[in-house]
Order: sequence, then C-alpha cells, then structure tokens
Amino acid sequence: MAKGKKILIIDDEAPIRRVIDLKLKSKGYEVIMATNGEEGLDLIKSEEPDVVISDINMPRLDGQTLCKMVNPLKKARSFLTIIMTSRISPDERIWVSEMDDTVFMEKPFSPAKLLACIDHYLGIQR
Amino acid sequence: MIDLEPLKDLLCSLSRISRWNFEVMDAGGGLFSSGPGGKSITSELQRLSTQIMSEAAIQKASLDGSYTLVGVPLKEDQEIIGSLIAHHSYPGGESRHKSSYPEKIPNPEEMESLLVSLTDLLKDYGAVRKECENLTEQLSQMYEDVYLYASLSPRIKTLRFSSATLKDLTEDVLEIMRAGLAFTSFPQHPEYNFLVSQNVITDKISDLKAFIDSLMNVICEQTPSNGGYIIVNDSQMSSPYGALHSDPYRLLVVKIQHENIFYGWLGLLSFNMKEIFRRSELGLLRSIAEQVAVVMTNAELYRDLEKFAINVVMSLVHAIEAKDTYTRGHSEQVNRYSLMIAEQLGVDESEKNRLHWAALLHDIGKIGIPEEILNKPGRLNNEEYSIIMTHSEKGYKILKPLEELSQLLPGVLYHHERFGGGGYPAGLKGDEIPLISRIIAVADTFDAINSNRSYRQGKPADEAMAIVEEVAGSQLDPRIVEAFKKVYQENIGLFSKDKL
Repeated sequence: MAKGKKILIIDDEAPIRRVIDLKLKSKGYEVIMATNGEEGLDLIKSEEPDVVISDINMPRLDGQTLCKMVNPLKKARSFLTIIMTSRISPDERIWVSEMDDTVFMEKPFSPAKLLACIDHYLGIQR
Repeated sequence: MIDLEPLKDLLCSLSRISRWNFEVMDAGGGLFSSGPGGKSITSELQRLSTQIMSEAAIQKASLDGSYTLVGVPLKEDQEIIGSLIAHHSYPGGESRHKSSYPEKIPNPEEMESLLVSLTDLLKDYGAVRKECENLTEQLSQMYEDVYLYASLSPRIKTLRFSSATLKDLTEDVLEIMRAGLAFTSFPQHPEYNFLVSQNVITDKISDLKAFIDSLMNVICEQTPSNGGYIIVNDSQMSSPYGALHSDPYRLLVVKIQHENIFYGWLGLLSFNMKEIFRRSELGLLRSIAEQVAVVMTNAELYRDLEKFAINVVMSLVHAIEAKDTYTRGHSEQVNRYSLMIAEQLGVDESEKNRLHWAALLHDIGKIGIPEEILNKPGRLNNEEYSIIMTHSEKGYKILKPLEELSQLLPGVLYHHERFGGGGYPAGLKGDEIPLISRIIAVADTFDAINSNRSYRQGKPADEAMAIVEEVAGSQLDPRIVEAFKKVYQENIGLFSKDKL
C-alpha cells in the first residue's frame, strides 16, 4: 500500500511541487517538500523518505551535488531518486548512471508517468 | 469531511485564553476536544450536537445552573456536516447577568458571535481549499498536455512521413489522453488507418474495425454541420451515435486537415462515463491533428520534389542517348546489372541508392564528346580515344553543381579506373576505387561487349561473360565479377538480348 510511504519533493518551483504533491497525496502517499537542495538534504537524513524527487538547478545546493552527497546513505537504506531536468545532457547521463537507484525524468514531465514510476519502484499495483 | 488541521491550534489557544472548552462533533460523535473537560458532559454534548445538526441553527443549553454550552452548525456547501460547541463551567453562570461575568472571560453571547465568525472563516477556508485543489488538478492536467505535446512534437516533425510514426503517435495519444481507444481514419490512404485500444474496449466491441467503419459513416454524414471536430460526451443523448452501441460511450474526433486539404480523422473513444472530453483536450487533439496534416503536406511536397529530381536526371540520361545512338538503353541496363550485383553483395540501402543514380548517370560526360567520335564507324585513333577518355571527368564536372548529387560523383568519375591500376582519370587501383565505381565498371564492361557498337557487332551474353571473367583482377574487381557471375547464372533469361 502507498500509505506510510514517504515521498520527498525537492524543487524551487512551487507549481511543480504543488502538482506532484496533489498527485501523490491523492494516491495515498505521504508527501514532504523542500525548496532547495540544502533543505532537501536535511529532510533526507531526518525523515528517511522512500523516494526523493529532485530538480537539478536549484539555489543553495544543486541536484547533482545533493545526489552525490546522499548516495553513500543508500548503502544502509535504499531509496529511489528521480532526477528531473529539462534536457538530459550526455554528462548528466554519466553521473546519474554512477548513482545507485537513480533515474531521470525529463521536464516537461507527465504527473501520471511520475506516479507510475514511483508505484513501480515500491511494488505498488493499482 | 471536516478538515480539523487549521482549527486545532486555534481552538486550543482560544480555550486557554477564554477558559471555555471547544468540541467539534459530527453525526458519529466527537472529532476534537480542546481539553479533557468535555468527558463528564458527553451525553449532553451529543444531544446538543444532534439538535444543532437537525435544526441547522445555533443552540444553547445549560446544565445544573453552572454549566453553559453554545453551539453552531458546520457547513460545507449547503450541507450540515457537524457542529462546533463551546462550553464552560462557571458557578451560576447562566443565572448571572452578563455584566457580572468576570473580565477576560467571554460571556455566552460573546462566545456565540465568536463561534459564528469562526464557522464563517472555516467555510471560506474550505471553499478556498477546494478551489485550490481544483486548480492544482487542472494544472496537473496541463502538465500532462504539455508533456504530451513536448514528447510528440519531435516525432511528428520528421520530414519523411511514415505509417510507423503515425502508429506510435496514435499509441501515445491513447496513453496520455486517457481514452480506451484511439484511431486514425484516412479514406484515401487506408494504409494509415490505425486502431489502438485497451482491453476494456475489446471486451465491449468484438469487431473493432467494423465498429469504426460504421462510426466513420455516421461522422461523414454529419460532417457539413460541424467545424472540423465532433465531441460527444454521452452517446445515448446523441441519436446516430447511440445506435452504434448499447452502452454509453464518449467520443472526440478531429479532422486531420491543413490549408483546406483534408487527409483524414484522428479520434478517441471511451466507455468511462465518469469523465468527459473537455475543451482543453479538444484543443490539444486538434493541434496534434493539424501538425500531422502539416507533416503530410510536407511529405507530399517532398515526394513531388523527389519526382521532379528523378525526371531531371532521366532527361539527362535521355540526352546522352539522343547523341550516342548505339548506347540507347545502356545507362538503364548498367543500372539494372549494378543493382543486381549490389543485392548479391549485400550492399546497404543508402549505398545502393547512390549506386542507382551513379549508374544511370555514369556516361553523362558523353554529352561533351563530339557526335562524330561517338558514332564513328570503325576504330578510333589515339587522339579520338583520348577525347573519349575525358567523358568521366566531364560527367563529374557536369554533375558537380548539383549539390544533391554530390554523394554519387566518385561513382561517375572513377568508373573507368582499372582494378589492377592504369585506368583513367586518376590511375587508382584496388580498394582505392570507390565500391560503386567498381560495380559500375563490371556492369558497364559486360553491357558494352554484349551490345552493338558503331564499329562492331555485340557479342552473345555467354561470350561477354567469359571476357569479363578474363579481365577479373586486371581490369575488374574479382570479388564483384564473382558476384556478377552468380547473378548472371541465376537470371540467365534477363541477359539474352533480342537484337542478337
């Protein structure tokens, strides 16, 4: 069940946070949000989310640095990271492939596809 | 549902300041209590709440002369969903005049107006929240639309229109626009007709193709009265559509049309009657259809241009043959043999395409050779022969300004190079000579020996083949000669000429 599964959204754009928040909450997920990488990092440590959805270009701490910082945490407790970016560059492809349990989602994104991706990772069937 | 979250802290603070307790109740009982004080009067609270909810009005009560209760109904839209009750114990509170209430403790009348203000606020909050959710839902749908458009546009922008891209497009449209069935219908091009459906549809419609055919008949009959689209959100309310299936369904169909050129239809159908096709979906589907039509128009223009280019090349070919009467049909024959060899060698499609045009045009340089030399009966002298030898370079120069043909220039320029070296114009040898030139050389040699010339009769095919084999290695690439021999043996009938 999606209940009890915690999703963290890290994005500085409020409409994007709001849309993902609504979509996931309506399907039973618990949603927490951060508006920059620094806040996101704190929440990953304190809240232990099951899935982290993160933008790349953000104030304070960008998505790439954040991913590299939290990757060692995945050894102890695995969780999915979904990187959202407007266009995937070859360089991004490389560093993402080096991370554990990390996938891309291109912006503009489909909320329905994002939900399907999360459901799939958590083994939730609807 | 009563959303208590924004209320909890507020009611607790109010409770501390006012020394009143607050309860939120619904038909099922207590939902929230600002303090433990309510327990002892549970039954009275329950009674008051029921009364408030049934009468939909403010109610007051007192117990034992010292306990005061004031309650207001909680509404969502016009429906009563619960009650908000304030109560406190003040010895003799009810009987005392309000002026004798200690300062800082609200009297029941003040509490009543506080509760009314609170419920008004709560109502506004609920409405705003609901509006916000609706807007977010719409925003979410817009994200889906933008995503659909962003992911489809690169696919439909490809210049060469193919049925495969149209099929992918139909599948994407079905997936993202959340319908049960997506289809295209092209009256003039049935090869572009696609049906993509979910299981729900195949369960309900056994013969999908027949269903779409009859649906298209209805749509075409209705066409004059619509503006390029049909939107039916309940088939049972719309007679010709209702007759097509006993279950209600929804339909959204748009014309694939560009600048008044009509190509076909793009449609969506769903049996899920909980949703409707909205204007935004109509708009999106129409712009997708418009894009498809633009691409189809471009593809037609492209095909016209390609046809024009082919005609230009063919008239060049005919121009050579008009000058050199003995080589009539030679270019096409060399083209035919070359392609057979290429097939045998397993040459890839783009290389084959270059070979095709180079073979047709390999002798184009003969346009620049005097007719007396081309058609001279008898052997050529050295001077005449050296003029003939310039034809491959002349051909190269003639075609060079045509940018589109740049890929096949080497094929024309080097078709008289010799595999063992010593050919013209560059004296290349072996693999230095481009593959298409080596192939043309084999086909050209065979056809030249096999055909009549101004100075001699053509030799029979078998003899010509034998001569070609003899020069394998010195003049021609042996690997290609071998491939040609195989083709020759397998298609012997094609190589015997009537004129012999």
